[in-house]
Amino acid sequence: MSPAEKTGALKSAAGFLRSYLLIVLIAVLVVLTAIVEPKFLSGQNMINIMRQFGPLIMVALGMTFVIIGGFIDLSVAGIINLVAVVTISLIQVLGQVPALIVGMALGAACGALNSVVILSSGALTQAEALFMTFGMSTVYSAFALLYSHGSTMHFWDIDKSKSVFEAIGAGKVGPVSVSFLIFLFFLALLWIFQANTTEGRSIRLTGGNKTAAELAGIRIRRSIVVIYTICGFMAGVGAIVLFSRITTAAPVIGANFETNAILSVVVGGTTLKGGKGSVLRTVTGVLLIILMSNCLNLLGVSSYLQVVAKGAILVFAIWLDNRKQA
Amino acid sequence: MDRTTRSSALFGILTRQKALPFIIIMLVGMLFTKTGFYTPYNLLDMLNSSSILLILSFGVTLTIIAGGCDLSIGGILVVSGVLSIKLQSVMPMWPAIFCAIVFGVVVGFVNGFLVVHQRTEAFIITLGMGLLLTGVAQQLTDAHPLPSSNPDFMMIGNGYLLGVPNLVIITIVCFIIFAWLMRYTQFGRNLYAIGGDYEVARYSGINVIRTKWLAFVISGGTAALAGFLLSSKLNTGSAIYGDLTALVVNCGVVVGGTSFAGGIGGIPQSALGLLAFGMLDNVMNMLNITSYYQILLKGTVIVAIIWLDCFAQKRKRELV
Repeated sequence: MSPAEKTGALKSAAGFLRSYLLIVLIAVLVVLTAIVEPKFLSGQNMINIMRQFGPLIMVALGMTFVIIGGFIDLSVAGIINLVAVVTISLIQVLGQVPALIVGMALGAACGALNSVVILSSGALTQAEALFMTFGMSTVYSAFALLYSHGSTMHFWDIDKSKSVFEAIGAGKVGPVSVSFLIFLFFLALLWIFQANTTEGRSIRLTGGNKTAAELAGIRIRRSIVVIYTICGFMAGVGAIVLFSRITTAAPVIGANFETNAILSVVVGGTTLKGGKGSVLRTVTGVLLIILMSNCLNLLGVSSYLQVVAKGAILVFAIWLDNRKQA
Repeated sequence: MDRTTRSSALFGILTRQKALPFIIIMLVGMLFTKTGFYTPYNLLDMLNSSSILLILSFGVTLTIIAGGCDLSIGGILVVSGVLSIKLQSVMPMWPAIFCAIVFGVVVGFVNGFLVVHQRTEAFIITLGMGLLLTGVAQQLTDAHPLPSSNPDFMMIGNGYLLGVPNLVIITIVCFIIFAWLMRYTQFGRNLYAIGGDYEVARYSGINVIRTKWLAFVISGGTAALAGFLLSSKLNTGSAIYGDLTALVVNCGVVVGGTSFAGGIGGIPQSALGLLAFGMLDNVMNMLNITSYYQILLKGTVIVAIIWLDCFAQKRKRELV
């Protein structure tokens, strides 16, 4: 090999590493874990990993649209708190299916309210949206606390054999859990929406360059309403899956979901600058995060150090993303 | 005509200085209630309990004026608080405190490297850094409160000098230093220029990278200082205090009139903004408002204030 070819090969290797470094790193971790702890490859562990495709992925799928649209949403934690306590209390009053529908509608309404607040103020940057939605999150959490009087609610007294929520939380179709099927359903729905509809493409253009999109005749205000509504709706779905699994709903149930969802989206490769990304990438991101925490759990790493690892990966992923842009 | 100009002038005051009317409303409102609000003890106590947030806000103001923001302060706050107690088992008190502050400076340096040198988005990088540091603090304390056994350490945050709490004195000293730094030094003026327009500042020969980087380093240092003072005040180090502090302080700075757009604002404004939050807490406690309504009220105030900030930006854009 001539020296020029050599440097060329080195450069492309460096480019490859830069693009896929995170995936490579986590693959190394997976291989290491499989060697140190053979249990990792057992069927039970695979089912465990599949079971974790629960609330977080729902929230992350919704968050993907907000980030593609060039914004960010910290209010999902508040929405999850509010939807969980309201839905669980309505089961007795309205019955299960109406409660489910009201819960999801409430999530979507909270998301729409976010977009109204943001649009009316004329906020255009991510940082402004970040603080605004943080404030909204506090408001939603406060409503959740007021509604539930700060207490944890249960749904023990429902007939288990006919319970929809029991099915969502613990049911199985063959070896596949119901929550995984729900995830597949929403993934298909959102993917079709994103790839094959005009609105999906408008969202992407809005995220790429708001001024250009507006001048090109795209209704960016409608796009902003749509992304926040989807995000709120998916946060509502996430809340329902979450409390169905743990059978209780406390008004603080949604804590940390916002950072984890943003983390999953960014690790998957959707850029925070907006305009690029897809729900499929988010699925990779969530899978990577789940695999990582599964590996670290099997290796006996404390949950606190896992928080450190998550923070480090978030910072690292954003830095890498930025390098790619430059 | 006259009426519209008057109302737009009023709007201008409201958007520039949001905290002051808010404080005046609370002060006047409290005159009509039968509470112990207007006692020297309560007013001093209010200052004392806002002091940590005030000190945090001074550093954050620098980064916001330079066109960034710093959400890692919550993480730095808890880690430096834990470190200053934990290190006392291996070294004397003052070196331990020194190490805690050096830690904050190092984190600020890394933040500055990533945000300024590598040109990443400040808010998300520092959010990730805050998450990371919270994990570090949990690991160090095993998620339990870590009590300090040194009475001297406790006296720093709880002692009095001539009848005034130490914390209030430290806050006033910090205030004077930072206000002087921003108003009368080249560094401070350069920061305003950088926040106003990064490229113009660069072409006018300001070393933009070094100046903005330094803002993040200083913010990390002040956060660490506040962290050790908080630990000393509570006599414990714990990983939980940082949870919402970062967002509240950043919002408080904006409430004061320092804008996320950069280049506008100052240390006195930030002090007013955080004081408004401190006073709101105090007033709500005085009026016996239950804690859930307090959270609701605080959230609403944050949304309203940031809304006003964005709305003012929009009007400015439309005028140009």
